[in-house]
Amino acid sequence: MLILSRKSGESIVVDGRIHVKIVRVEGDVVKVGISAPPDVPVHRLEIYEEIQRSNQEALANQGQPLPRLAPRKKPEQAGQTKHPVAGPPAGT
Amino acid sequence: MKCMNPIEEELAPPVACDVKLPMGLLGFEQMKEYLLVSNPVEEPFRWLRVKDNPALAFVVIEPFVAFPEYHPDIPQADVEFLGLASPEDASVYTIVTVHAGRRATINLKGPIVINRNTGLGKQVIIANAATYSVQHPLPDAEVAA
Repeated sequence: MLILSRKSGESIVVDGRIHVKIVRVEGDVVKVGISAPPDVPVHRLEIYEEIQRSNQEALANQGQPLPRLAPRKKPEQAGQTKHPVAGPPAGT
Repeated sequence: MKCMNPIEEELAPPVACDVKLPMGLLGFEQMKEYLLVSNPVEEPFRWLRVKDNPALAFVVIEPFVAFPEYHPDIPQADVEFLGLASPEDASVYTIVTVHAGRRATINLKGPIVINRNTGLGKQVIIANAATYSVQHPLPDAEVAA
């Protein structure tokens, strides 16, 4: 692993197109700014790994029977169709 | 998105829609072409099948069906990547994990967002991921014995 020392406000460039800037250092917290093209996903490692594990577990268990969802008990949903559409706005 | 009925049946056949995930799913980055299969008898669950390997499939569900309070905050970069002009353009699915012991959970941190006009999709790590679990229990779910 390449290890570089950087001061607050200094940057690193990767592959000519990914810029990593040390924005601020406060105690043991380092704020990092990353500029990358939209086709380069950037994630916090622990969340990335958590979702990766969940995906793998979901695939591994695909032989399990499908769950049944008990009908929701709210009376206003009694007449709902069996093809519900996506609810709240997805983008903000 | 482009959809077709793969099987000639008289009564409510399954419908398969093309879904392209150019970045794959996390951990499955190399698989980019999927079919979203809806079978009326399996609603509200659907299958996200790898197009050239039907043995590989994920169970998905629109999270709002099971969890109306879910409010995923899709990062602006993802909105642009998916070409979403308005919230109505987006279909949101969450991957279902069926566990042993008659239990099922959904991943609310990393929903699959699909532009319903183009079939372009992505597994998005939502900006408010810290609020939600990758193993949110599916309420009232009971796995058939």
